[in-house]
Amino acid sequence: MSSVQTADKDNYLKRIAETKNKRPYSPCRAACPVNTDAQAYVGLIAQGRYNEAFEVITAPNPIASVCSLICHHPCEQACRRCTVDEPLAIRHLKRFALEKALDYRHSRRKPVKKTKGKSIGIIGSGPSGLAAANDLANLGYDVTIYERHPMLGGMLSSTIPPYRLPRKTLQEDIEDVISKGVEVKTNCEIGKDITINDITAKHDAVIIAAGLSLSRSLNIPGVEGEGVVLAIPFLTDVSFGKKLDLGSKVLVIGGGNVAMDVARTAKRLGVKNVEMVCLESAEEMPAWKWEVDEAVEEGVSILHRQGPKAVRREGGKVKGLEVLKVISVFDANGRFNPVFDNSQISFIEADNIIITIGQMANLLFLKDSHIQVDERGRVVWDPETHMSSAKGVFVAGEVVTGPGSAIQAVASGHRAAVAAHLYLQGEKIEGALPVYDKEKILPFPTDVVSNIMPEHRAKIHHLPPETRCSSFSHFEFGYDEIEALKEAGRCRGCGSGAVVDTSKCMACLTCQRVCPYGAPKVTAWSEIDPARCQACGLCAPECPAQAISMLSYNTMDIRKTMPSIIGVLDTKREKPVIAAFLCTHHVGVLGFDMPDNIRKVPVHCTSRIDITDLLKAFECGADGVAVVRCPEGSCKYKGVGKRVAARVNRTKELISMLGIDAGRIELFRAGSGNGNSYASVCNEFAERIKEIALRK
Amino acid sequence: MIVGSQKPIEEIWDMVKDSKKVLVFGCNTCIAVCHAGGDKEAETIAMMLRMRASQEGKNIEVKHFSVMRHCEPEYFVPVMEEVKKYDLVLSTACGVGVNFLSERIGDVPVYPGVNTSFYGGVPASGVFTELCGGCGDCVLHLTGGICPIVRCSKSLMNGPCGGTKDGKCEVSDEIDCAWYLIVERMKKLGTLDKLAEIQPPRNWSSSAHGGPRRIVVEHLQELEQKEDNKG
Repeated sequence: MSSVQTADKDNYLKRIAETKNKRPYSPCRAACPVNTDAQAYVGLIAQGRYNEAFEVITAPNPIASVCSLICHHPCEQACRRCTVDEPLAIRHLKRFALEKALDYRHSRRKPVKKTKGKSIGIIGSGPSGLAAANDLANLGYDVTIYERHPMLGGMLSSTIPPYRLPRKTLQEDIEDVISKGVEVKTNCEIGKDITINDITAKHDAVIIAAGLSLSRSLNIPGVEGEGVVLAIPFLTDVSFGKKLDLGSKVLVIGGGNVAMDVARTAKRLGVKNVEMVCLESAEEMPAWKWEVDEAVEEGVSILHRQGPKAVRREGGKVKGLEVLKVISVFDANGRFNPVFDNSQISFIEADNIIITIGQMANLLFLKDSHIQVDERGRVVWDPETHMSSAKGVFVAGEVVTGPGSAIQAVASGHRAAVAAHLYLQGEKIEGALPVYDKEKILPFPTDVVSNIMPEHRAKIHHLPPETRCSSFSHFEFGYDEIEALKEAGRCRGCGSGAVVDTSKCMACLTCQRVCPYGAPKVTAWSEIDPARCQACGLCAPECPAQAISMLSYNTMDIRKTMPSIIGVLDTKREKPVIAAFLCTHHVGVLGFDMPDNIRKVPVHCTSRIDITDLLKAFECGADGVAVVRCPEGSCKYKGVGKRVAARVNRTKELISMLGIDAGRIELFRAGSGNGNSYASVCNEFAERIKEIALRK
Repeated sequence: MIVGSQKPIEEIWDMVKDSKKVLVFGCNTCIAVCHAGGDKEAETIAMMLRMRASQEGKNIEVKHFSVMRHCEPEYFVPVMEEVKKYDLVLSTACGVGVNFLSERIGDVPVYPGVNTSFYGGVPASGVFTELCGGCGDCVLHLTGGICPIVRCSKSLMNGPCGGTKDGKCEVSDEIDCAWYLIVERMKKLGTLDKLAEIQPPRNWSSSAHGGPRRIVVEHLQELEQKEDNKG
């Protein structure tokens, strides 16, 4: 009896939504520390739906603009296109969408009602503090942020150089958060301007998101004194406009990303000769490869496998650094444990040395409070609840997780916010905090890779190195619309493809026969392997039991929305109303710019169009139906043309049976030239069928 | 499986045009596999009928939905109340389904949306070929697994006839001569000598010629009855 099913579409769609939740994530989404649905927003960008893309982007991430410029984009490293050609430029597409949706973004800023009647103090306004503040403000709490610097953002405003992150961009994210009614106390250093005990007494809960604000130094001779500075004070001074004289040669000790920021900042301060020295080889360096490449382009030189031995000074003035040759950096277990050759000493000249070998938390402000700090100077906390040793005091971000990326800190901020909320509502925290470690779909099988057409990644343009080193202006250009739409069209839609309603499937094998990628395997019913499915949608319209749905851009929606797409028709219309099914792969917003009589039906690919969709357009009163495929040679899927043509031909047969001229439906390909070729084919078609379509 | 094809829309229109509320009732098993009457084709027919009604200026409500099979009551009983709300049901099941539903639906007429044709196989997507005639007395062991009853135009038991030519039947160039296939197949199997044996005239009473057939699996039926008595 349980196998009885009716065409109860609502239940069906509910089951599909459940399937989507149960399915492994696309690799880009799983790789994001906050599971941003990159695939969803890239798909929206491809259709020119920028405001919706903005919503998807910002839902899990309150510092989306920041991430759109500086994120280390693990989504891209995980992109399955890596095995075909190059990953999607996801970060850069995010930037594009956010820039496009700027007006919309401003229009939606408004205070959130403080319905909870409880207040929360947040110490620190870096990524984790901002994320927690945003979440708690959304939940209706009265939130106050305490920040020792004059601007919110923590490291984002105080140390990330503006050539990577213009402060105006950062300000957009900050404004989103504080516009919700978050109170901000800048220039307020805990332990100096206010005590931690004052804060815990004032608020119902407190979140410590103080980050790692101290640079580590080296315990070597000569390190004390003028001419040797630490990374964070150096970058902070530059950020807040302090003038520095660094001489003509600066040596940066360290091989991480902050070291790159320091070296490139020194270059921009006019230092002619900037050299870096690090323990690691080029392959072992912890800095991201692109950061290293950009620094080298700018004239920064890097000495590998040298360890600092002593700062040499003459008359107190720094002359340079003595270094030892490094034999190995990591031990057999992969742990950091450098071994030096004490017999091989060399000397590197320098006027100033900047030490960039890591950061640590500054927890002096917790002195005289109930919040315990362990013998190694770390806050004592329970990672299950994010609570410190003091009741109602939570911790978030690098202050407890150690150094990581901005977006990882955001994830930690979300968890702390939920923890504080549950605590204040008297609910259990253990097991209730968000978990971002998700299962992802498997890599493309090799036979699938050979079935995917390579499409090169749209190049990201930078200011030339010689120009960009002369200022702190942002050095990277955003995509223009054509570039962005083309790039977004490269997405393979991993994991967003076909799913089978097993209560309707009768194992007829049609999907298995239709699929060019070998995704469906039919046994007792069809099961579609998400690792193989390319989300083209070729199978769904062929299923005789309508048992296949697409997880994204479900084609079943087309027939539901058709009446509103066609609308009420004017009986005296002079131009035929055309339902234009447009492949969104290359259409973007340009193709959407159509005259009024062309009613647009965007589809992910024309492969997803069902005969019933085409008939529905006629049923709703369309005078003609145009199916417009993407330009010749640009379809990213296999086997689409012949199937779409067959469906159009079948529709011609069906409408002929009703006495409707078969010429009122046609299949087209958009041209590849400039201008809106989607509009031109539709207009020509409308003109051509005017006589037959409007004849009474 | 049972193979059929959709009736022309004009023929269907003639059946339904005087009704006010029509259900196109799909069947998601055999007839769906042959793309004639599953959920998708039921929707297609419903749409065509609505458009036809609109052309005629008639106000007919046409809806569609489907169940897995029309030939067993358990599948459609749960939706029977809904089905009975219509004043005409166009079943796109095979003829079995139309009959079966007609006997159980009360006063609502059940009409066929499909011409039921044969028992067939699916050599390739979209291709269906007749391979069995349901004669009730299978002889495939005598003919190399190729059915002379349904694949020979004359249903000869001792073929081929004089109408065979280059492996094709005289009825049409597109029809393979079943007896040519049988001979070739039996050559391959090394059983050609069996064909020397003349088959006697068949007793056709086991096929449709003997009147409507009924098969009862007695041990199951008895069990059902016992269960019923208990209840």
